[in-house]
Amino acid sequence: MGGPTGDRMIRVDMTHQTASIEAFPDEWKMLGGRGLSARILLQECDPRCDPLGPDNTLVIAPGVLAGTAAPTSGRISIGGKSPLTGGIKEANAGGNPGQDLMRLGYRVIVVTGQPADPERRYALEVEADSVKLIPADEHKGKWNYALIDDLGKTYSKTASFISIGPAGEMRLSGASVACTDQESERHPARHAGRGGLGAVMGSKGLKYVAVDAGKRPARKPDNAKEFAGLCKQYTKYYLAGPGQEPFPKWGTSVGCVEADALYTFPYKNRVEGRSPDVETLDGMRIVESFEERGGGMHNCMTGCIVRCSNVVHDKDGNYKTSALEFETLTLLGSNCGIASWEDVADLDRLCDEIGLDTIETGAAIAVYMDSGGMEFGDAEGAKRVLREIAEGTELGRAIGDGAAAIGKKRKHHRIPVVKGQALPAWDPRPLKASGITYCTSAMGADHTAGLIVEPGQPQEEMAEASQQSQIVNAAVDSSGFCQFMMLNLDELRGFYGAFYGEEMTRERIADLGWEVLQDEWEFNRRAGFSPEDDVMPDCMKQDAIGPAKLVWDVPSEVVAQAYERFENSDELFQLRS
Amino acid sequence: MPEVQIPPRYRGPTNGQSQIAVDGHTVRECIEAVEARHPGFLELVFDTQGNVRLFARVFLNGDDLGREAADAPVDSGDRIEILAAVAGG
Repeated sequence: MGGPTGDRMIRVDMTHQTASIEAFPDEWKMLGGRGLSARILLQECDPRCDPLGPDNTLVIAPGVLAGTAAPTSGRISIGGKSPLTGGIKEANAGGNPGQDLMRLGYRVIVVTGQPADPERRYALEVEADSVKLIPADEHKGKWNYALIDDLGKTYSKTASFISIGPAGEMRLSGASVACTDQESERHPARHAGRGGLGAVMGSKGLKYVAVDAGKRPARKPDNAKEFAGLCKQYTKYYLAGPGQEPFPKWGTSVGCVEADALYTFPYKNRVEGRSPDVETLDGMRIVESFEERGGGMHNCMTGCIVRCSNVVHDKDGNYKTSALEFETLTLLGSNCGIASWEDVADLDRLCDEIGLDTIETGAAIAVYMDSGGMEFGDAEGAKRVLREIAEGTELGRAIGDGAAAIGKKRKHHRIPVVKGQALPAWDPRPLKASGITYCTSAMGADHTAGLIVEPGQPQEEMAEASQQSQIVNAAVDSSGFCQFMMLNLDELRGFYGAFYGEEMTRERIADLGWEVLQDEWEFNRRAGFSPEDDVMPDCMKQDAIGPAKLVWDVPSEVVAQAYERFENSDELFQLRS
Repeated sequence: MPEVQIPPRYRGPTNGQSQIAVDGHTVRECIEAVEARHPGFLELVFDTQGNVRLFARVFLNGDDLGREAADAPVDSGDRIEILAAVAGG
């Protein structure tokens, strides 16, 4: 047991209900998170498989530096072929499972096959020297918080959990995978949301994964002194930087006002770029509630210095949800014409409970409203619809399958998706380079794949800006670092070099990011994707927003430039995620 | 004339312009001068009370002026730099 580096991996065969530990291949040493997921999927999964069938592969991969003392580096990637897009998908989350798996030396869990009986449920138990697949039928249908509450009574206080709610069990394309945070209550509040990977986990009958790292220490770098120095140096830099001030103090939710002024705060299924309700949705209202109700800012994972996650309490001072983010306030709030952050907090909690991506679900409800199914602004109706998803009604299932599914069912013309995935809040009409990311990323419309907030950028700079951002984000999403740490490639290669005790050149770190993109593009090509799929929906070309009448008007030949690698420039290595 | 440097995030109203020379004796007057030419810029920098927004910082010749930067005096040749803080999702 133990590979050349001493690291290991776990393979789970759901067809035969077996789990085993193997040596982690040395050739994957520098791969983790999103990059490792892409490499495994390309090598081991048939891109033409049914995403919800036995031939799909579910990859659970912490980043390379998870479990180390590096600050905010414990993110975990969930990967597979997406039932939402039909292409490769990676979504990552905070919380503690990534840290715990890596402290035990497990670089990845690869789940294949499918039980013969779709009604059965199983759980994977991961400990220092054993992995075990056990029946978990008693947890069938449980909502995430109730599930974790029950698991907390039987597992050690040091265990962390990865789970799905009813949406994943129903194999809905908007289903998320939940990870528990570092609080003693272990809230299942950190979600790998995008692309329906909860449905892939559900299709395999896997209800939860329990990881118990006990009191295992952090992973040891080869060059411990240099690594510790980098951790100290970057932490000091991060906490002192004026640009970072808003996150630890208030979280992403206070970005609403700025986004609104930039015409990227979508309103009523994106027919407008600004919302008249921005002041009542703005995260400062949440911050103001802390004094009277309690709650506040916290770190979602052990060792996080960003602390962007808010804990939201209700009027009686009881925990309601965490974290209520900018994207959720936008997609489930203004995009649905819902004006109250408190209503959005309720919707966020329901999504976390049922196991749903708040972006996809918000977009789906907005499409339903826009098509006449419900009035915009009907917050109670939106909550009712979410409960219908958990109940499995026909309407609930259509909305739980995402914006494209409900739009098709309602024969609606305005469906803001790329490659089947709903657009995030950051709008491609003012932010055109981000639009190029949405078109060319194998993930579909995903701001975490390469967000560029530069309205007014010259068109000739857009493709390179998108490509650079995609390379940096692919590298960061493979490392375990949170994107909000805003590392650039020079800083990232310093951490890799010290951890492995070998030089990581500029070329190598840039290649690592680029190779992730290439693996993902190749998977999608084999799955049947072509340049015709790299398109914005008609509504982005027709529905003009703002006084400048902004529409998506970037020619396809400019979009396609993002596939041809630009020369490495100093700018690439200084660009922050 | 003082010069206002525009961060990439806020170049939508300025049609991509990165620096603009303006007339003005305070930071507020300089920002208002940019607003007069490029409507939509001022609200990115100041809130409705006239304070610097949470996601912006204003530097005068490299010195951070804090949230109450608006009334800071500005001389000809000074450089007003706007820094847009990060914001993700």
